[in-house]
Amino acid sequence: MNESAAITFDDVWFSYDTVRTLERVSFDVERGRFAALIGPNGAGKTTALRLLLGRLRPTRGRVLLFGSPPGRQREAVGYIPQRVTVPRGFPLTVFELVLMGCYGRLGLGRRPRRPDRDAAVHALERVGLVDLAGRYFETLSGGQQQRALIARALAGEPQLLLLDEPTAGLDPAARADFYNLCCLLQREAGLTLLAASHDIDAVAHHADRVILLNRTVLAVGSPHDVLHAPVLQEAYRFPARHHDQEHDHRAPGTAPS
Amino acid sequence: MMELLSYEFGQRALAAGVIVGLMCAVLAFFVVLRRMAFVGVGLSHAALGGVALGVITGTSPLAGAMTVSLVVAWVIGWLTRRGRLTEDTAIGVLFPTAMAFGIALMSLSATYRQDLIAYLFGSILAIRTADLQLLIVLAAATLSLLALFFKELVFMSVDEEAASAARLPVTTLRYLLLTVLAATIVASIKLVGVVLVSALLVVPAATGQLAARSMKSMLVVSVMAAEISVIAGLWLSWTWNLPSGSTIVLVSATLFLVAFVSRRRADGAP
Repeated sequence: MNESAAITFDDVWFSYDTVRTLERVSFDVERGRFAALIGPNGAGKTTALRLLLGRLRPTRGRVLLFGSPPGRQREAVGYIPQRVTVPRGFPLTVFELVLMGCYGRLGLGRRPRRPDRDAAVHALERVGLVDLAGRYFETLSGGQQQRALIARALAGEPQLLLLDEPTAGLDPAARADFYNLCCLLQREAGLTLLAASHDIDAVAHHADRVILLNRTVLAVGSPHDVLHAPVLQEAYRFPARHHDQEHDHRAPGTAPS
Repeated sequence: MMELLSYEFGQRALAAGVIVGLMCAVLAFFVVLRRMAFVGVGLSHAALGGVALGVITGTSPLAGAMTVSLVVAWVIGWLTRRGRLTEDTAIGVLFPTAMAFGIALMSLSATYRQDLIAYLFGSILAIRTADLQLLIVLAAATLSLLALFFKELVFMSVDEEAASAARLPVTTLRYLLLTVLAATIVASIKLVGVVLVSALLVVPAATGQLAARSMKSMLVVSVMAAEISVIAGLWLSWTWNLPSGSTIVLVSATLFLVAFVSRRRADGAP
């Protein structure tokens, strides 16, 4: 394993009680790369991201961020979810949302100051949303909301961005727009990106490394190599099995439900 | 109002009401943001089990309520820590259990039922000097914690995963919020009652959300709405000899209605 990589999965296993979600997962993502984590529903993509966020701990094996366990690394990490839903009518402005990106750097109990507010404005400028800073977050379009979430991540001056199905629900133009912005940030700021996605077309165009996951790693390589591998069809034709073999009590020969 | 304030119990009730209003309004901001209204309902009803335990055993009902509420709050946090159960499912299991425990205890002794009625619906006669002192300590502790970690709690409430990525101690913050919620509920029980305290944990912030244009002004309007509700509610309770909890909540609901109608007019709705 390359421990100087931005992301390292070293023989990682994970189970939710008796339900095994990941087994023998090993891969790494070099610094400055745009990697995509693809796989069918239930393949363990979100579990892998939650392990990287330190929200879950592996049952076995090691997960490292910049050579350290998640949460102990020196480098800042930004996270962009599929969506953020605030209660309808809640007066959270785009600027207030983006400013949250600085909170990790600030430390507990410390209030944002002028440089933090400037960092939030700069992040909004980078994603082209500075004119909408005073708008309520919930009134933005889906594409604008995703840009605001990128700005929030950028305000924390991250070295790595983790993206969880970031373009789900966006129209094709907004999807292309989103990934173009990600690529620009990767080139300009030298960011490392790991995007869990179903959007195979976008991955083929933008990522420079693809990891095909279906409970275990089925293939790793360039988009061309992985997206043309026979194993891709197999992975998507047969949905991932969620249940641990030891706890699967179906009668032999019974079709999965 | 002057007549009410001429009595010591009236002064204590008003002082307690102002403190309870402030605590509930600040916490209500997070209850609305995190959609925890049902958790508030559950914890307040679960406190009934603790009140009954305290009354039946002859110890402090508030200490019993605090113990049961904190245990229920922490068990909710533990059950939901890995997303295996949602908060509403966890509270849906724990709240009727703790309440059933309280009702079973109540049925053991008819003597104490009158005491329990005051805890159910609140009473301005119920606040003693010791209660007021406890309330001041609880308010100082909970409001200091909420003020110190306000920005972190807002971030966690909006997006827990992103807050984790930013290395905020999300699990600790969740337990902190549940603990403060339990403490606030117990602090409010004597004045508002277990049945209605959950309303003060939602309605003032809902009013603030309708009337405000930013998070800061929402907080200010929430506090104002809660304080008006408590002061006017206590006065009406004294004047018409009604339970203090119900009059406070009715005033609070009236303010919400006014804010709702005003907002619809401002938005140009038909």
